[in-house]
Amino acid sequence: MAEPALKPANTQADSSPVLSLRGIQKNFGGVTAIENFSLDLHAGEIVALVGDNGAGKSTLVKIISGVHPPSEGVMELSGEAVRFADASVARERGIEVVYQDLALADQQPVYMNMFLGREPVRGPLRVLDRRGMIEATEKLVRELDVRIPSVRATIRNLSGGQRQGVAIARATHWATKLILLDEPTAALGVAETAKVEELVASLRARNIAVLIISHSLDQVFRLSDRICVLRRGRQIGVRRTNDTDKNEIIGMITGLIESEPA
Amino acid sequence: MTVLIQPFDKPASRWRGLAGSPQIASLVILAIVLVGFSLARPAFLSPLNISNMMAFLPELGIIALGMTLLLTAGEFDLSVGATFALGPVIVMLLAQNGVVDIGTALAIGLLVCIAIGAINGLIVTKIGISSFLVTLSMLMIVRGVALYITQGFPLKSWDQPGVFVTLLADSFELGPWRLYTSLWWFIALTALAAYILNFSKLGNWISAIGSNRNAAVARGVPADAVKIGLFIVTSVLAGLAGMISAFRISAASPVAGTGYELEVIAMVVVGGTALTGGRGTILGTIVGAVMLRAIRNGIVLVGVPGLAFNIFVGAIILVMLILHAFIQKRSFRR
Repeated sequence: MAEPALKPANTQADSSPVLSLRGIQKNFGGVTAIENFSLDLHAGEIVALVGDNGAGKSTLVKIISGVHPPSEGVMELSGEAVRFADASVARERGIEVVYQDLALADQQPVYMNMFLGREPVRGPLRVLDRRGMIEATEKLVRELDVRIPSVRATIRNLSGGQRQGVAIARATHWATKLILLDEPTAALGVAETAKVEELVASLRARNIAVLIISHSLDQVFRLSDRICVLRRGRQIGVRRTNDTDKNEIIGMITGLIESEPA
Repeated sequence: MTVLIQPFDKPASRWRGLAGSPQIASLVILAIVLVGFSLARPAFLSPLNISNMMAFLPELGIIALGMTLLLTAGEFDLSVGATFALGPVIVMLLAQNGVVDIGTALAIGLLVCIAIGAINGLIVTKIGISSFLVTLSMLMIVRGVALYITQGFPLKSWDQPGVFVTLLADSFELGPWRLYTSLWWFIALTALAAYILNFSKLGNWISAIGSNRNAAVARGVPADAVKIGLFIVTSVLAGLAGMISAFRISAASPVAGTGYELEVIAMVVVGGTALTGGRGTILGTIVGAVMLRAIRNGIVLVGVPGLAFNIFVGAIILVMLILHAFIQKRSFRR
């Protein structure tokens, strides 16, 4: 990897990385799912993780988000070595994941989903602070331009794109370091995909790092600053989006272009 | 960029929202049922009849409160009727045979209920068997234990007054009505359940677990612990209701509460709580409990033949559920 040349193009070019992965390896029994993976993620940049089915993208997301501990290697969060006992620890440290299945409670209003598991309470009776939740949610959806009828709307009455918007807004609210997006537009139509992409692109300005998994190379090229390619658990390479093209990335995904020496 | 947050609190839409909410629909139907019976039979409103209904209401109502929370979390409990019998049977057996004093006997009875709920909850959450099957088996086990330890006979009456009897089953006159202390228990427990479901973090967790368990877990909600806790609460409330009932009629029968599980679930669902979880209402459950009690009482008063009685109860419950289905569909389209 030619790591020093691959700093993000836009901001904090010389800042230290938010998340630094060094030599991450993951074995399930005798099977190596991820081998020797290293990547730095900086605040304000969007990195795409691409690869064929079974390349190890989801495993990597699970390692970063604390679901699986890595078998080997070091994870540093803002320069401090970390080892997450489970997903809730990673979340407390400012890493949020938006899963394919969205993780929204369908019959609850938007604002309750926004604070699910971390509801603010007030008074000696520890009564739910609905007003506070509603106001914070309204402010957030306004800032992010998530178009929903109301923050009191029930999730199941929203469209797929609106739900994805809510899920990303929630991640944005809680993430202080990093957001992982796992196929955020896989189930969406053209117009809704465009809206969600706009939302993802706007996260750059919020000074957090974004790692996005996507099967759509068009989307990857529209959104990302850098592209990291995985094949069968091996890291094939990292490219700056502006310095590469689809042919090279497809070649790296399919194996026509072999991995560069680490 | 424009911001599209439509005002949601316009009076008109709020009214439409209220009329479309399951609780209010239930309330309207309850009013119709009550007025209907009163017009058909003025005796329906006599102090004696109302006192009569109020004596029975809290006993099923208390179980219904627990069942509401459990159903909202997406599970249900068919063993409540059997627990309703076993709780007081254990208390009476221990107290009457002089093994322990009545206070200790009550505590042991409640501990058995906690154990029943904990076993239900652990098997449902940790082994992953549906609550229908687990609690159906538990229904048979608990009922069988109650029958076996009593040899099938009701236990002789407990007639020594004491602080616990006063606390659970004393009666008092309020104007023309004769009421039981169980009504206070019911009111206090209703307030507690309403606080939990509507105003506490736990309530949001319960609804979220019933709505999408994986989503709740992904946000760090301890879904299994909440469910096990709710199974325990439901069993304890069923046992408590059984003890209240046993003290009121001064007898504990091993076949008491037969069929209560379905009656209680009917109350909860008629009130507007979703059988599939995710949406629960304590107000609706109160309405449902009063409605089923009133229907059972009123149908006898208007002179429906005894054997035809269940036809009417079943039909009225079915009508209520159809109505809720329509309301649900309409709110979904909106």
